[in-house]
Amino acid sequence: MSLNSSGNTRYSGQSTPIFKLAFVTGLLTVLTAGIYRFWAKTRMRKYIWSSVSIDGDSFEYTGTGLEKLLGFLVAIVFLAVYLGGIQLLLTFAGLGIMGQPDNELAILASVYLSFFAVAPFMLFAVYRSRRYKLARTRLRGIRFGMESAAWGYALRAMGHYILTFLTLGILLPRQSFYLEKFMTDRSHYGDARFEQGGRWQSLYGAMKHVFIGLGMMVLGGVLAIAVPILGAIIGVIGYFWFFVGFAYYRVHSYAYLTNHKTLGGQVTFVATPSAGEILKIVILGGIAVGLAGGIAFAILGGLFAASFSGMGMGAGPSPLAIAPLIIGYLLILVALGALAIVMVTQPVIAHLVNHLHVNNTEALAGIRQRAADSGADADGFADALDVGGAI
Amino acid sequence: MIGAAPIAATFFDGQTAQRHPVLVSVTSDGSGLILDLQTGVAPWLWPLTRLRALGDQAVVNALTLTLQSDSDDESPRDPARLVITDPDLMAWVRLSAPQLAKRDVRRGTATKIITRLALAVASIGVIVFVILPRMSDFLADRMPLETEVKFGRAVVSQMKYLLGAGKSGTLACNNPAGEAALNRMASRLMDGQELKYAISFSVLDHEMVNAFAAPGGQIIILRGLLDTSDTAEEVAAVLAHEIGHVEARDPTRLMLRAAGSAGIVSIVLGDVTGGSVIGIIGDQMLQTSYTRKAEAAADEFGLAMLQAAKVDSAAFADFFDKLSGLEDGFVPPEYLSSHPSTSARAARARDFAAAQTGTTPILTDAEWQALKGICKG
Repeated sequence: MSLNSSGNTRYSGQSTPIFKLAFVTGLLTVLTAGIYRFWAKTRMRKYIWSSVSIDGDSFEYTGTGLEKLLGFLVAIVFLAVYLGGIQLLLTFAGLGIMGQPDNELAILASVYLSFFAVAPFMLFAVYRSRRYKLARTRLRGIRFGMESAAWGYALRAMGHYILTFLTLGILLPRQSFYLEKFMTDRSHYGDARFEQGGRWQSLYGAMKHVFIGLGMMVLGGVLAIAVPILGAIIGVIGYFWFFVGFAYYRVHSYAYLTNHKTLGGQVTFVATPSAGEILKIVILGGIAVGLAGGIAFAILGGLFAASFSGMGMGAGPSPLAIAPLIIGYLLILVALGALAIVMVTQPVIAHLVNHLHVNNTEALAGIRQRAADSGADADGFADALDVGGAI
Repeated sequence: MIGAAPIAATFFDGQTAQRHPVLVSVTSDGSGLILDLQTGVAPWLWPLTRLRALGDQAVVNALTLTLQSDSDDESPRDPARLVITDPDLMAWVRLSAPQLAKRDVRRGTATKIITRLALAVASIGVIVFVILPRMSDFLADRMPLETEVKFGRAVVSQMKYLLGAGKSGTLACNNPAGEAALNRMASRLMDGQELKYAISFSVLDHEMVNAFAAPGGQIIILRGLLDTSDTAEEVAAVLAHEIGHVEARDPTRLMLRAAGSAGIVSIVLGDVTGGSVIGIIGDQMLQTSYTRKAEAAADEFGLAMLQAAKVDSAAFADFFDKLSGLEDGFVPPEYLSSHPSTSARAARARDFAAAQTGTTPILTDAEWQALKGICKG
């Protein structure tokens, strides 16, 4: 342990161990019909957390698989009751998932109604999941934590989403800023509170490529009336520019928001991620994983076809003959999932961590421990509703 | 071997985020580590038996140790951490601490898991088998007729899809002579009866031996039922039974319950919008698992209807006999197979038939042949 206080953050995770870990835990998850996923998630987080260090001190993830399983059981009962009732009432109203199939509008309405019935829980789960992650994160033996305000978050988030939708996305920076501020202002490290400073209007700088892409699409549309080919080319370029612009927005809004956070009024952060680098990782990594998958499935398909070509016109393939195919298929899926973590998830995290600097880490020494948080549903809602992303 | 010379390490006390340099040495009997902060406080003793190392760590050139302890934490561990980087000391601890990788769980954890699991299963069971049926009954009685009819159309097209129709309607059998015979059978059964629903019959070209009632009054007969029946009365008896289900709103109840269960299944399987669950509902409809009570009531309704129409109910008994015959044979009977005790119901129909007088055939032979050929041309 170096005793310097330079405030450098470093990511030290390696490809081989994380691939092994992801592959083994993925395999165990498949073998246990999904039950092991709570432990798999826990072990992956332990590895990734411990890879991140500030001034040589590693983060620690203290969550357990058991509490995740228990939280999931609670969440599933709650959601089952809720969704069962909602579906029943929707069906009674003539909508629901058994809605009249030849009426497109009714189908659309029923899908959206089901979605809106679940949406508050998804937002609730987003906040709860972050709170749980923070509550199970320690640095130098001191707990992070977050206040319990998940419903407040869900309510505000819905308001922001509606506003952003109604303004055709123009108020997206406002949404990003206030939702992040809501969470940040309720986050703590020990007895020190995080605070989100800055202005939401400043996030428009990060939106510039989104607007350029939009502008090109509009320009292409207008031009298409006079010069169709030129209009189409500009429109297509604008379309891709728009999506790359979104990636740029995500990276640069993260940087702005991070650079305007303070901890305990003394510790500040400098994030200098490169949108280009991250895009490169995601695109190249994605291509690599896709290629590996294509090749692996092609080989499996070839082996399968070869093993059946000599069998003549007997009865269909027996279950015994199909078993290796299914096993091979599952093995490839698990391996591809692990590969995606090695090629995409971990490099992106590494990039973000390696481009973060913490100012005034000396002030951390004065921070005192906070009380343990029971963790409530321990990611249970996020798991049941499938929100929460890669790790 | 680790000598007497103390080794420098880093200590976090679990109270503040301060990093404490610490000198670590092994006790003379080798049973623990002595942590000396050199601040004047007496050194701490960490016994090897309670020593735990953090698992799945990325850092390989350091070992983070903690102490098993009854704390409020998610795991029963002391909040303090000791980070050692000296390779010899790391090797010695790994070799000497007996339970370094042990995952401590609190007393009563197993009970807790079992309780929660039982609670989860029980509450979902209560929802599916107690609350949903009651809610379905309650709502079915209050559902507007037009919703029920609309609902029935959706069910029927779903059913056709499941039975293998590419587009709805392609399975429909509509030979004119057969339809005329079917209409004659329908009016013979229903004339003079006061029915709440406008009942309509249709035949689908499928070999399954089955007939089912959809919400709102549509009754679907599958060709297999006509093929298996020896007399028109057998078909009439089945139709009268199905009319009984429609009049009792059984299909509507079943559908509401299935929709509610589908909501639950969707969350357990993690399919929130419920897309893939529609199949489950259709399947459930094909299985038509009404309650025994509902079946018995529909039987009684059917027998009364046959009586009013002066149709011999012995055919109903014949049909049940044929079913139990099929049950013994190699073809599993689809129609009524999930229904309660076929032989008891046959006996009931036969008793009823014994008391019947003045019955007349429901269709002429020519009409019966026409009905059997409804799917031709």
